[in-house]
Amino acid sequence: MLSIKDLHVSVEEKPILNGLTLDVKPGEIHAIMGPNGSGKSTLAHVLSGRAGYTVNSGSAHYKGLNLLEMAPEIRAREGLFLAFQYPIEIPGVNNTSFLKKALNEIRKHRGEEELDAIDFLGLIKKQMALVEMKEDLLRRPVNQGFSGGEKKRNEILQMAVLNPTLAILDETDSGLDIDALRIVAGGVNKLRSESNAFVVITHYQRLLDYIVPDFVHVLSNGRIIKSGTKELALELEERGYDWLLEKTETPS
Amino acid sequence: MTETVNNFQDWIKDQVHSKAESSFALSAELRKASLAVLNSARFPTRKDEEWRNTPLNELLTRTIGPASEAPVDLPLLEKLKQAIPNAQHLVFVNGVFDSKLSVDLATEIPAGLSVKQMSTLPSESLQRAEASINRSKLTDDNIFQHITRGLSNSGLFIELDQNIEIEQPLQILYLSSSNDSVSISHPLNIIHLGQNSRLKIVQQYASPAGVQAVTIPADTIQLDEGADLELYKIGLESESTDHISNTTVQIARSAVLKAHQYLLGSRLTRSNLEVIFDGPGGEAILRGIYLGDDSQHLDIRTYMDHANPQCRSDQHFRGIMNGQSRGVFNGMVLVRKHAQQTDAQQSNKNLLLSRDARVDTKPQLEIFADDVKCTHGATVGELDDDALFYLQSRGISQADAALMLTRAFSAEITEEIQLESLRDYIQNEITSRLDKIRVDHV
Repeated sequence: MLSIKDLHVSVEEKPILNGLTLDVKPGEIHAIMGPNGSGKSTLAHVLSGRAGYTVNSGSAHYKGLNLLEMAPEIRAREGLFLAFQYPIEIPGVNNTSFLKKALNEIRKHRGEEELDAIDFLGLIKKQMALVEMKEDLLRRPVNQGFSGGEKKRNEILQMAVLNPTLAILDETDSGLDIDALRIVAGGVNKLRSESNAFVVITHYQRLLDYIVPDFVHVLSNGRIIKSGTKELALELEERGYDWLLEKTETPS
Repeated sequence: MTETVNNFQDWIKDQVHSKAESSFALSAELRKASLAVLNSARFPTRKDEEWRNTPLNELLTRTIGPASEAPVDLPLLEKLKQAIPNAQHLVFVNGVFDSKLSVDLATEIPAGLSVKQMSTLPSESLQRAEASINRSKLTDDNIFQHITRGLSNSGLFIELDQNIEIEQPLQILYLSSSNDSVSISHPLNIIHLGQNSRLKIVQQYASPAGVQAVTIPADTIQLDEGADLELYKIGLESESTDHISNTTVQIARSAVLKAHQYLLGSRLTRSNLEVIFDGPGGEAILRGIYLGDDSQHLDIRTYMDHANPQCRSDQHFRGIMNGQSRGVFNGMVLVRKHAQQTDAQQSNKNLLLSRDARVDTKPQLEIFADDVKCTHGATVGELDDDALFYLQSRGISQADAALMLTRAFSAEITEEIQLESLRDYIQNEITSRLDKIRVDHV
């Protein structure tokens, strides 16, 4: 589903990703962990098409399509979703009409009929229960005046409504208390299926108690330096990152 | 009969010296001072601080021909009325009140409210009307105000009795028509709300595409103690129309003004709004949007005179400029020495949608009192990249995302329009203009 090969990316001429390779198949959950500054968020942004990143070499294919050549909205319509680490507040744009517009753009792209207001409301109410979100947040401008936890739930609500094939969660756990974390993770778990995949970027092992990954990768200095199963995350929790970093920095 | 064809400046001089018999809005006595000004004064240039960003060359050299007798665009008039279908409609054509197109002033105006044509006022009423002008402590003594006062041949005197609240809005529609020459209009209204009375007025200026016109209206408004006026001004004139307006509002003790302006049309608009707090405890809430495209020039000037204590003013204006258009905001807040406990807020935010668009903004604050709460600020910027990307990352195209964000930028102002049908109307007008911009960009 997602195939990243030897990806080199820089921001303002500063190299951030230095030969990253990753394969994600349908039905899988991959966790990407790593210390601050290792390139985790850059990976999320490059995959979703944010401007300001220069791809120097390597490739990223999604469903066989050259991801790096696609506009951000086309990636989204093809089923890619990024849950933002810092969701953006958009004053004056109503949360519901924004999400309805987004869903209908995606449906149009798939050749499906657009949903009218009534059908959409039915869908969104069902999904809101999934993330235990208060209904008045639907009437508010996108993320405006939302608490940190409400913003993250709103991301998961959008994910549930847009029903992506590949979802990238960029530090969705940061700033969440344990209850919110459980709700957000519960949303993800209900959405996971044989046909979709998740890339969960996180700094802490905590989230992985709730979203159990099939694979755990450690990112350092823009490359994956170690891959394993969920046990690797527990080991990182116990020992930190240093033992891994030292090993790679001083090759024998 | 031969009519001379003149440029605007000469045409004004001709009118001042005209011996032709005609009726005027104001009395000879009041007109005299303005005619004297017109006879000797020069028009402002860009060397005058108040007009530094708004050049008048094109207006002043426009060729003025005989008065237009072109028929009024009735379908347009009907469309404009839809902004507030339940309003009392009052219609001016080329600056002259048209009683056939308007409600019957004698029979259809609700009790307690009086709407009369200035030129037909008995002397006693005219004196009352002119008293409002004489009371007006005008600070921006600009020449266009004198054009209207000296030359206006039509206008309305709107009086509301004390303790009367009128729910149904008055919608005043100003239409210009022209065939092959520029039509000039200079309607003059005097509006007086009695103590604790309440009124809503919507003024809409429009002309069909291609119509050449110059509109120079002036309104003098007096709010007595505890009165409440909701006033909307909507500019939808053609790309060949120049519009320079002057509005002065005197706010007595505890009276409230809510004044919105939506400048969407015309080649050039300069809208002057002066508010003077004539007693303590008054309130003025000013809102506005100027939305320009192509080579439009839209200029809002406000002058807020806190001459009394415990008054509150709150101004929020937003500009959206595309093409080579230019926006100007100049807001002056003056807090006089004894105007203690003044609360004055002023904000001007601008969005530039093209590289060639430009905005000059100058919020000014002069405070002579020491116990006040005043803030002011201005920004000029482009669409927020983070917000654009966020919308795109959900499947919304860049063009649609830009449209949504620009609409949202304007919606923060339009959402405060209290009249629901008018709010929808303005939001639709703004959206259809933004849609056109998007089509142009593709």
